Amino acid sequence: MSSTPTQPDLVHLTIDGVAVEVPKGTLIVEAAKTVKQEIPVYCYHPKLGPAGLCRVCLVEVEGMPKLQIGCNTPVSDGMVVHTQNAKVDTGRSMILELLLVNHPLDCPICDKGGECDLQDYAMAYGRGSSDVADAKTSKPKGVDLGPTIVLDEERCVVCQRCVRFDDIIAQENQLVLKDRGARDIIATATGEPYRHNFTGNVTEICPVGALTSKTYRFKSRPWDLQRTQTSCTQCAVGCQQMVDVRSGTPLRTMSVESDDAISDGWLCDRGRYNIGFYASPERITQPLYRKDGEFHQIGWDDAFSLWAKAIKSSIAANGAASVGAIGGGRLTNEEAFFLQYLFRALGVENLDWRAGTQRQAGPGASGGTYAELERADAIVIAGESPAERAPVMDLRIRKAVARNGATLIRIAPAEGTPNVACIDVATVAQAIEAMPSGAKRVALVWDGVDLQLGAELAKAASGWAGLRTYVTGEQANARGAETMGMLPREGAMDTLAMFAAAREGRLDVLSLFGVNPVLHASDAAPTRAALERIPFLVVSDLFMTETAAMATLVLPAKGAFEKGGTTTNLTGDVLPVNQSLQAPESALSDFEMLIGLAQHFDEVALPTSEELDERVIGLCAKPPVADGFGAGRYASAAPSRPAPRPSDGLAVVVHSAVFAGGGTSAHDERIASLRPLPHASLGAQDAALYGLQSGDRIDLECDGVLLRDMVVAVRPGMRPGIVALTGGLPGRAANSLSAGARARVVNVRKAAAPVGV
Amino acid sequence: MRKNLYNVGAILKGLSITFAFMFKKKPTIEYPSVKKQHAPRFHGLHELRRYADGKERCIGCELCSSACPANAITVIGAENTPEDRTSPGERHAARYEIDELRCIFCGMCEEACPTDAIVLTPRFEMADYRRGSFIYAKDRLLVPPGAGLGPAPDERPNGIPSDLGRVAEVKSTMDIAQGYSATNRGETLKTQRKGLAP
Repeated sequence: MSSTPTQPDLVHLTIDGVAVEVPKGTLIVEAAKTVKQEIPVYCYHPKLGPAGLCRVCLVEVEGMPKLQIGCNTPVSDGMVVHTQNAKVDTGRSMILELLLVNHPLDCPICDKGGECDLQDYAMAYGRGSSDVADAKTSKPKGVDLGPTIVLDEERCVVCQRCVRFDDIIAQENQLVLKDRGARDIIATATGEPYRHNFTGNVTEICPVGALTSKTYRFKSRPWDLQRTQTSCTQCAVGCQQMVDVRSGTPLRTMSVESDDAISDGWLCDRGRYNIGFYASPERITQPLYRKDGEFHQIGWDDAFSLWAKAIKSSIAANGAASVGAIGGGRLTNEEAFFLQYLFRALGVENLDWRAGTQRQAGPGASGGTYAELERADAIVIAGESPAERAPVMDLRIRKAVARNGATLIRIAPAEGTPNVACIDVATVAQAIEAMPSGAKRVALVWDGVDLQLGAELAKAASGWAGLRTYVTGEQANARGAETMGMLPREGAMDTLAMFAAAREGRLDVLSLFGVNPVLHASDAAPTRAALERIPFLVVSDLFMTETAAMATLVLPAKGAFEKGGTTTNLTGDVLPVNQSLQAPESALSDFEMLIGLAQHFDEVALPTSEELDERVIGLCAKPPVADGFGAGRYASAAPSRPAPRPSDGLAVVVHSAVFAGGGTSAHDERIASLRPLPHASLGAQDAALYGLQSGDRIDLECDGVLLRDMVVAVRPGMRPGIVALTGGLPGRAANSLSAGARARVVNVRKAAAPVGV
Repeated sequence: MRKNLYNVGAILKGLSITFAFMFKKKPTIEYPSVKKQHAPRFHGLHELRRYADGKERCIGCELCSSACPANAITVIGAENTPEDRTSPGERHAARYEIDELRCIFCGMCEEACPTDAIVLTPRFEMADYRRGSFIYAKDRLLVPPGAGLGPAPDERPNGIPSDLGRVAEVKSTMDIAQGYSATNRGETLKTQRKGLAP
């Protein structure tokens, strides 16, 4: 090693007799990993940094009289470290004895038992007995910390990982350490329930069983679980996750710690907890065919032949333009590819994935990675907040702003102030002004909804240095569906044109795959009118959604945990989707359905699975299409947001909420408390104008449509003149008021006392 | 004829062995009216015990099922509620099932149990006509509420046992010398047993 020329930023030291060189400033815990030596840690976490609280990482450094903590001692040149010897073992066993003084040792009933760091290190370094004769302190067990988390105060070793996660990563600053000494406990600072979009992560970083998930509580032991790594398909971020299944039921999901490129090792609560719907008794289990106004259960063979017959006769009678298919955003790449392959082979060109408000998924040629987002000097957010659309991506934004000093500019935000510093502007022109002059790397995050706004952004962005663009969508595989060709070509109809044609009676057969336009399209009434006019509407879904209830043929589909394939996330990474669950007996994946349909068309040459994989990989590997925001292929769509009609009232803005969209979270009662209330969010000015306070219930009236019983939420940071409604909530569908319309507040019912939101 | 007479001696010799057994002690018993006394540590059908106050000892920890070499035990835990407190502490077994056809009666479950909930009794008569009926669930494994044994772990003000270290103390309430009197079915068996003391 001495022969190597010494670089100024490298430090040479010896760990357990092995010479290593690591960058200057590396901590001993990290340096020891280079010689595959694990130093026990509780309070230290690679993503949270050192805290020096638990003292279990003691190591011997030659020349220092006492043992040193490995997690907070940086290496220095010529250091000789021993991580394993008698002195170190004695030190660690003393620390463990102290950590266990008040630990209840109720491992048999602890959810962490079997995968607990305290258990493992006590086995490795502990003494097995204690000199402390006094009784253990008694603290409350099973404390309800919030809608997702249960706290066992006795098991806590006060490493403060959860407090630091809340502070450094989520930046919600809700958890604190209360009281001192043996009485210290984890609690929320305000005493309010612990609630934000990333709470589940604290159960994973907790090295003991103090913080556990409510949905997993006492359900299983770790050794019962069958683990599969897959990609989360609940939003377009594409976090890697572990799905743990016990006898056919998904019990929990865990993050993948090494997934630095995408999730950074974290999961949002929706990705983590919204898994109960797979086992819901409300799932459709048989193909349903509507005859004389009622659904009848039929077999798959009949379903395929009815579907094929409808397509054949429609093409024969009115041409291929009378047939269409919408979907792909919730399918795998393979399914999306085969969907367009099959329909194009039949001559059908009316294909689109855009069933909701999102109009564009591709970020153009300057699409960036999450790592680049984290390093940006300035981040511009236009449209809906990524906090609700792509939550784990929002953690990167919070990191960029709070830790790397980036400037956050939000254009016309619908929601209140985020928990990091930001500049709110109303127009793109103001955003250009607010852009710091020295910004070398600019990240632009757009929701892909308003194409006019997109075009304005694209124009502004041409002047920004080191531009990286991101489109946060509402459908997980929207970008994949686009890459696979689920966009109408020149002359074909897109979703809005198809719906317009349907209203005129020009569309005979429409097949919808995993989409629910009645709930998610920007305007419910015309969408409903269009679907009502379609003689043969096929819907493949897991549940009887608002759209499926209008269908002629409903096909029971498999969920993402129940099939394999690939998905493309919003940064363009092609990620594996692995099967971890067995689907209900008669559910088929959309791919299997399309194969079944294709059997009825002799003229279609089916590709072999190798050919299919090759085609899909080939399309994925293509460089992104260079069209910018709101241009090229997308521009054919009708303007998604009509100009606001000048009338008295508040402009309606629909925004997303993590647990509302997608509809699947409505089918798991365990996460009922996480579902958003039908909030009508107002700025402080408007609230004062109408005499409203948080918790009041109001009805909103707009063009004769009444949206009943909305809960007022006063958000001080909101612009005046708008009311923000949560989209995608079944039952209180915000899209029943047309987008951009003006709503009047009627029927105010005051709450007894103001309610915090 | 002479040759036949010659064989009488051989016949008498053979019959003498047969008749000699008439005066020896009989090894057969009148099962099922008379039952044999087993070795004191015989491993038979399981039972799930209770504490004297009627609470179930089982905390649903699944250590028995993980110790089971035959994979015969299925346990699914659930949470105790203040209104419905099945066992001391926070957790109880919502489902507890043993496949007695799969079981090899090794007693590892008994060894692994931290609360002495599952024990093997000397009862061995499980014959039935259907395979499915050999899956014993809580309805057949649990002893009746009146047949509880030993004091339950101390309850704290919030209803949580002080610690499982008390288990060792509870364990000492079981007298090894008395054999299976410590179990409910052992007790029943004692009263059922007729004749033939060891």
